[in-house]
Amino acid sequence: MRFLVKRLLLFAAALVGVSMLVFAALRILPGDVAVVMAGTNASASRVAELRAEFGLDRPYTVQYLDWAGGLLHGDLGMSALTGRSVAAQVGRRAAITFPLIVMSLVVALAVGLPLGCAASIARSPRLRGFLRVLAIAGGAVPALWSGLLLLLLFGRGVGLIGLFPSQGFPADGWSGDPVRAFASLILPALATGFVAAAGIMRYTRSALDDIASDGGPVDMAMACGMTRTQAMLQVGLRLATPQLVSVVGLTFASMITGVMVIENLFALPGLGALLVGDVGNRDLVAVESELFLLAAFFLILGLIVDLTHRALDPRLAAGEEE
Amino acid sequence: MAVTKPTPARRARVILDTMWSSGTGRYALVVLALWALVALVSLFWTPLPLLATDGYHVWAAPSADHWLGTDGTGADVLSWLMAGSRTNLVIAGLTVIGSAALGLLLVGLMVARSTALASVSVAVVDALISIPTVLIALLLAVPFGASAAVVVGACSIAYGLNLARVARPAALLAARSQYVESARANGAGGLRVLVQHIVPNITPVLAVQLSMSAGTSVLAEAGLTYLGVGVGAGVPSWGHSLSTSVKLINVFPLTVLWPGLVVTLVVIALNLFGDALRDAGDPVANPLLREA
Amino acid sequence: MSVSVRGLKVDLGGVEIVHGVDLTIGDGERVGLIGASGSGKSMIAKALLGLLPQGASLCGGISMGDAAILGSASGEGNGGDSAPASYADERTLADLRGRYVGTVFQNPARALNPVMTVARQIALPLRLHYDLTASERAERVRAMLGKVGLSDDVLNKRPHELSGGQRQRVGIATALITSPRFIIADEPTTALDSITQRQIVDLLVSLVDDAGASMLFITHDFAVLSRATTRCYVLDEGRIVESGNTADLLAAPETAPARELVTAARRLTLHAGDTSRADEGGVAQS
Repeated sequence: MRFLVKRLLLFAAALVGVSMLVFAALRILPGDVAVVMAGTNASASRVAELRAEFGLDRPYTVQYLDWAGGLLHGDLGMSALTGRSVAAQVGRRAAITFPLIVMSLVVALAVGLPLGCAASIARSPRLRGFLRVLAIAGGAVPALWSGLLLLLLFGRGVGLIGLFPSQGFPADGWSGDPVRAFASLILPALATGFVAAAGIMRYTRSALDDIASDGGPVDMAMACGMTRTQAMLQVGLRLATPQLVSVVGLTFASMITGVMVIENLFALPGLGALLVGDVGNRDLVAVESELFLLAAFFLILGLIVDLTHRALDPRLAAGEEE
Repeated sequence: MAVTKPTPARRARVILDTMWSSGTGRYALVVLALWALVALVSLFWTPLPLLATDGYHVWAAPSADHWLGTDGTGADVLSWLMAGSRTNLVIAGLTVIGSAALGLLLVGLMVARSTALASVSVAVVDALISIPTVLIALLLAVPFGASAAVVVGACSIAYGLNLARVARPAALLAARSQYVESARANGAGGLRVLVQHIVPNITPVLAVQLSMSAGTSVLAEAGLTYLGVGVGAGVPSWGHSLSTSVKLINVFPLTVLWPGLVVTLVVIALNLFGDALRDAGDPVANPLLREA
Repeated sequence: MSVSVRGLKVDLGGVEIVHGVDLTIGDGERVGLIGASGSGKSMIAKALLGLLPQGASLCGGISMGDAAILGSASGEGNGGDSAPASYADERTLADLRGRYVGTVFQNPARALNPVMTVARQIALPLRLHYDLTASERAERVRAMLGKVGLSDDVLNKRPHELSGGQRQRVGIATALITSPRFIIADEPTTALDSITQRQIVDLLVSLVDDAGASMLFITHDFAVLSRATTRCYVLDEGRIVESGNTADLLAAPETAPARELVTAARRLTLHAGDTSRADEGGVAQS
């Protein structure tokens, strides 16, 4: 219980800290935000207009409190470019990015977990060596390149075997033709998923190797009558779960660069495209809220991962009750 | 057992020999040496000047004039890749330095004697570790503009945090040991303890993590440059080459192969390098090092 | 069950650790294997169980009862000294382990599965080898728990909620639940304090004798050995250097390694300030 309280307090503090960092990086460091937003050829009156519109002429503390207060109420501000609410934009884009991340993760786990187990269980040195090289090579491929190769192989219109849509997302989103929407995410998810699978594979192997060390529960299970493979899959994998949950959390975070790249490559109007576009357009108010939102998302993810990790390991879970 | 203290040069020689004797270590050494060599050569010579474009031969297939073909502006792909190796070498080098500095600083704080300081820094690292590199890069790109420095900064922060987290258990073990206590009793300061006693104990972790950060910085550069927050337009880099080749894949797909292949081979080499260095530099695993 | 090991060599990643060991254990006999740490005794235990790590290669032969579990490809593993030997297939070994061969591990805090309750842990060999209903299993677990001197309220606890002695009692219960014919006890008391050590050794000995099983007891501690076994082998740097009746060996060790182990046991006993029980050998800590 004490751990939970401590962890929640830490989460709240991190949230405030990150909001300050984002604010400082976007409003204080660039100098005159209004000038940046208006662009190089803007007239002085346009700059003044912007300054007044977004309240950029007020002291920083007032600006920060105003912005942070808005965030607390779910008010993320308005985009300077489109005039639409940032919250609505983010919501619409997340409907593409979030399924994409989840699909990538499914691919990564479906490929990485069995291969990682195989790498740990395999007895033949040749097979172990091959799997080790596979894991290292897989993790060394830039997402952009894996996406390109998949396009060249399976992209409709571009590839050798045109299996899947290669560009874009249905304009009417998931409501119009869900099957087409899903299909257009398949290649992107494979592109990021395969790369992430290499990481999952490496971690799975090393977690299982650690657990299968001398005189541990895996040996015990074998001494009770399991074969090595049984013991690894039934006992080793269960004991590795807390670590694997952490790995999935970290994979989530490390996949996001790839996801943004892949969104651009496949012309998917997701969060990555939105953020990159807004940074390019110097829509600082929007960027500010979007960056904070994403950072908050990852902080929440970290929190969930930590708590799950603890709940899955009875030694840690009990350590707090005593 | 009387052991004469080996000279650093002798040790380095033994470590290199051991790395060379394993297949993966040899691959890593060869690729990294080639990388450094190409970067050096590109300072004085590239097959064609970077700005020499040949409007009549855009997206050309590999030929005697253009070994790896040309891109959409008719520029020589090989020349750009060679020049790019320089940028990536600098980015990787600075990332290693940056993440080592930040990582060691955090390690020092995390194992500090003051429990308040230690627990606060552990908490900060735990919280920030989940923020992805690309968000840090976007945050830096707004005030500072897209540049190689943004890539270095974002990578250093992200990998420094990661290094601190991974190295903490070994560092903690060293920091609580008898010899650190006696060193402190003799008046050694925090920095001295960190450098003299803790760093030597976490070198295996450092070798693996730092060489992995170098590899990941190459990958990050490619991604960030493609997103427009990496190295600036017109600056040669592998990410630049990769992004350029993406534009018209359906017209001439083969140009896509080269930059991606270079990046992949180099990142593999960097990952293997760390493992090989750790194994060769470990006196327990490497009997030759004990004899040296 | 009688066990025989002939010319066993164990090679781990190019380094030979065990150099041709012969030992026999008669039906119902309690035999000790003693040696300093690093002498290779745990490797022999692992070889008996087929639990050696990846990359280990073996020579020689091992048989338990009528079953040959390790032998060279040519036949029974006789003669051919340096011919590489291979195990019976994994399934056969797994069927043997936990059913006819029970194992007590050195450190129960490490060996017991941290996410399993005591009840499930002890029932595991039953579940793997016998077709019993849940209530039949529960009944046997309860009976076993009584034999190792634990009360029923530990059934739903997990290993981290038990004391060191309780944990090793659970380890012994797990090893003995299927009434195996042969017990391998690999330093079962090393992780325990001196008083608990004595209780655990006595418990193990009485349970093994009651069941009429044979036992190989591995330790580095002569004091414990004399309590647990009647006959023993002294292992030094991968070779058997001396063997015989435990009491005789303890009284008059002939070889240097055996003498060192005996002196170490005496010194530890004296060091603990418990001279009155010195020859009983209740105290030793590593």
